Amino acid sequence: MPLDIKIKRQVDSPRHTTLTVELGGSLDTATAPQLEAQLTPALDAQVKDLIFDLAKLTFISSAGLRVFAATRKFLKQQGEQVSFVNLQPQIQEVFEIVKALPGVSVFGSIAEFDSYLAARQRKVVEGE
Amino acid sequence: MKESVLELPATPEDVMRGVEHLEQFCTEQQVPRKAIQGLMLAVEEMASNVVNHAYQRDAQQTFRLTLQHHGDRFVVELRDHGPAFDPLHAAAPDLESDPDERDIGGLGIHLVRHYIEDLRYAREGNENVLLMTKLLPPA
Repeated sequence: MPLDIKIKRQVDSPRHTTLTVELGGSLDTATAPQLEAQLTPALDAQVKDLIFDLAKLTFISSAGLRVFAATRKFLKQQGEQVSFVNLQPQIQEVFEIVKALPGVSVFGSIAEFDSYLAARQRKVVEGE
Repeated sequence: MKESVLELPATPEDVMRGVEHLEQFCTEQQVPRKAIQGLMLAVEEMASNVVNHAYQRDAQQTFRLTLQHHGDRFVVELRDHGPAFDPLHAAAPDLESDPDERDIGGLGIHLVRHYIEDLRYAREGNENVLLMTKLLPPA
């Protein structure tokens, strides 16, 4: 069961880049190292938001969760945000069992994430 | 009772071959999809545990998967000849601690316990034998 990885980089401003990582297939003991290898060089100082889009991910094990946890730990040191969107029911269930790695925000869909972004931008405008 | 036995080299890729074989066998046996997903996760976690820890990725070693469909339950036996190791009595993960400080290594067995109703470990001769039984809903 292969893992498909697509990394999209969106430059919002010179100091703010959003990385969207689309995963498809199986994130497991055999494929987790591939994700780690592609993710590490993509995470530079400009990356402020990282979105994992799991719409096409059908299987995940603790090997995959370990990559998510390591990524989150790395980005958190710089006050950055990691989100997960479009989880299939069986993936959502695994996230819930491990209490979704507490502190990681889990969103049900891109639409929910968009409304979250809009709310955050409003806060910036209001000077909070 | 339908049975399938598979002997595989101790590599992560072969763990996933075993998981795919399980998926195919269960699908043929018309095991419900939700139960198949739980079994696949359990086999992935426990077999990769054997490959990465008991054998330390020595691909010369092998492990054996025996799959049994009994109608009302599905039994997976995982057999290896690594050093004696009881995965059921390894330390449970502390899910209340700071996730950044926590050892995430224990999450695998935590997931397995969620999906598998009965887990038994035995040391037989020079082999570790793990029996995983999942109850199936009435057809």
